[in-house]
Amino acid sequence: MRLFQAFRVFFRVLSDGDFAERVARAESSTGAGRSAPAATPAVSPAPAAAPVKPASRRSDALTLLAVFQREGRLVDFLQEPIESYTDAQIGAAVREVHKGCRQVLERMFAPAPAVPTAEGAPLKVEQGYDPGRIRLTGQVSGTAPWQGTVAHPGWEAKRCDLPEWTGTPAAERVIAPAEIEIR
Amino acid sequence: MAATFSIGIDLGTTNSVLAALPLGVEGASIEVLSVPQLTAPATVEGRPLLPSFLYLGTPEEVAQDAFRLPWGSPSAAVGEWARRQGAEVPTRTVSGAKSWLTYSRVDRRQPILPWNAPAEVTKISPVEASRRYLEHLLSAWAQAHPEAPIQQQQVVLTVPASFDAVARELTREAALQAGLPENFILLEEPQAAFYAWLANPTQSWRKLVREGDVVAICDVGGGTTDLTLISVAQENGELVLQRLAVGNHILVGGDNMDLALAQLAQARFAEKGVALDAWQSVALWHACRAAKETLLAPDGPTTCPVTVLGRGRRLIGGSISVDLTREEVVSVLTEGFFPPGSLQVRPVRRPQSGFKELGLPYESDPAVTRHLSHFLNQQSGVRLTRVLFNGGVFKSEFFRRRVLEAVAGWYGATPESLELPHNRDFDLAVARGAAYYGRAKLEKGIRIRGGAPRSYYVGIEATGPAIPGIVRPLRHLCVVPRDMEEGTELDIPGDTIGLLTGEQAEFRFFSSLTRRDAPGTIVSHATEDEVQETSPLVATLPAAAGGETDFVPVRFQVRLTELGVLELWCVSTVSEDRWKLEFSVRDEG
Repeated sequence: MRLFQAFRVFFRVLSDGDFAERVARAESSTGAGRSAPAATPAVSPAPAAAPVKPASRRSDALTLLAVFQREGRLVDFLQEPIESYTDAQIGAAVREVHKGCRQVLERMFAPAPAVPTAEGAPLKVEQGYDPGRIRLTGQVSGTAPWQGTVAHPGWEAKRCDLPEWTGTPAAERVIAPAEIEIR
Repeated sequence: MAATFSIGIDLGTTNSVLAALPLGVEGASIEVLSVPQLTAPATVEGRPLLPSFLYLGTPEEVAQDAFRLPWGSPSAAVGEWARRQGAEVPTRTVSGAKSWLTYSRVDRRQPILPWNAPAEVTKISPVEASRRYLEHLLSAWAQAHPEAPIQQQQVVLTVPASFDAVARELTREAALQAGLPENFILLEEPQAAFYAWLANPTQSWRKLVREGDVVAICDVGGGTTDLTLISVAQENGELVLQRLAVGNHILVGGDNMDLALAQLAQARFAEKGVALDAWQSVALWHACRAAKETLLAPDGPTTCPVTVLGRGRRLIGGSISVDLTREEVVSVLTEGFFPPGSLQVRPVRRPQSGFKELGLPYESDPAVTRHLSHFLNQQSGVRLTRVLFNGGVFKSEFFRRRVLEAVAGWYGATPESLELPHNRDFDLAVARGAAYYGRAKLEKGIRIRGGAPRSYYVGIEATGPAIPGIVRPLRHLCVVPRDMEEGTELDIPGDTIGLLTGEQAEFRFFSSLTRRDAPGTIVSHATEDEVQETSPLVATLPAAAGGETDFVPVRFQVRLTELGVLELWCVSTVSEDRWKLEFSVRDEG
């Protein structure tokens, strides 16, 4: 019986946007939402009395991809066949893509080197080093400490501030909405 | 309950910011609130700046709850996404609401924005737009600090120094509707920027200025320019700060500069036979802003490509590109916005085509240096010795240098000796300074002595025989002297005025940034340059018992509250009665 119901819900979610929305709300109201419960403000200026709906659970990867597309046109760039263009044409466009994507990267992750030592500088790797932060390459023999040279100082995200997505399940997979210009 | 935070709110023309300083905590620092906002459809991100734009969605967007935020579902989007929509869907986006608050030709309580929106868009008033921006900030505050309700905090809201009494009153109205506490304080933005500078813990301001200094605060934001002069004097061995003068509301800012460069680039595209559509023009505007920053950086390149990416999926194939050189960008911006000239030069007044939008009274002369020289020239006997910069435009050393060179030329000084070390973050300084001021007011810290930035006049028609075709000359009775101190009250001397009971009395109301008349003075010949008309004042006197009409002799009384609110009263000379005069912002056209 539950199996039959599950199928019915499954197909109705696919075909009926409103229904899908209601299912999403019912589902998220069971407490599975990941957003922190919003405290009720003592003074609620906006018509904030409406029940707070936790965000839909779309993959963070899609949300991030959407930001890179929106601000850096990354998906457009990667999806475009580039064989026929000259390097100058590609170069001009890449500057724009680079600028947009970099802003996103800085804002959301603030990447910084994983070790504070400059590239090319010597570094002593102590016993009990964190293999998650440091990877040894080359002639690794004997035991720590090792004396080496930083071939790449690595990257570490100093923060991870992803936007919260609050859209409908029907639009969950949309990376960039179609743009229709009304004339 | 005592306030636990001093909260500074910068309700800006293009961006709004909320900063908070914990009270009673030794060594506490001012924190800027991260404001959750829609940065794209259904995407909520926290940002320190809340762009002051409001996007009124389509019925489908509203029905689908497209503007959902962590604290609820407003009927319109405020913030970063709305700002972007402003470029792409201008007819559904409210922008520049704050500038509309100063525009006396329209009724600012009526739904008029977006200006020129089609009939099916539900418009809102400039006051309501301001209210919505504040509501958004307060909701974000309530979410981040449920333990500190805004009603119980010390709140300082900033307004441009150039705002007249009506614009201040309308801002106050929006703020109270949004839920700010009744006793919140209004502070002028350039003063707030100065407080942010005083608050800087890494420098001692007492070592950077000395007695006799006159500091110009030069604040050029995205759309507006605001000027203020502050003097440094000494009393009992302590330095005291006094606000000397404020400038007019000038609608020129960084956006004008970007648009000027966009026109240059657009002409370059036209030479290549490429015509840009509306969407590309917006992209070009942003590309030009980036090119401007690149080229004007201290060791920037001599040329910079300006690229507009293809609109559709064909990113590279659809891209178009032209080069701008440093030389031409410098020349366009210097000639247009920072032309050198003498101190006697005034802004050019002529109708100018180009980047003008119907409605708001944009400046016909975008030259910041000419507005500055005109402003300084109006302050007789003042010798500028220092400049403090604020506003996004001055992030670029190039623009700071242009202003310093102009000022140095006027006063025979060196540019280096004029510049004060500036605030760390131009975008956030006003809100930070406001929070600092809120604490200074409670804990008796250093304060700038201000007072009324303008003198105010009530228009009195001269008596005399009526002559057809001749308008009776209008005289101006000074009711508020410039620099009248906060927290004081004045009875205006002079003849009594007869008001009819049971009827609405209406007075024409004027202000002046330059005249210094004593209260009660009657000015018979004032030029339009000196005295500007603002919204009229009205008071309705209750009808006398028995329905008889009667004249009540009254005098004016004026109060400037500690919170910076101006109140005008008609006080009966024969009874204890008094009536408050209210601004009437009805459409006069």
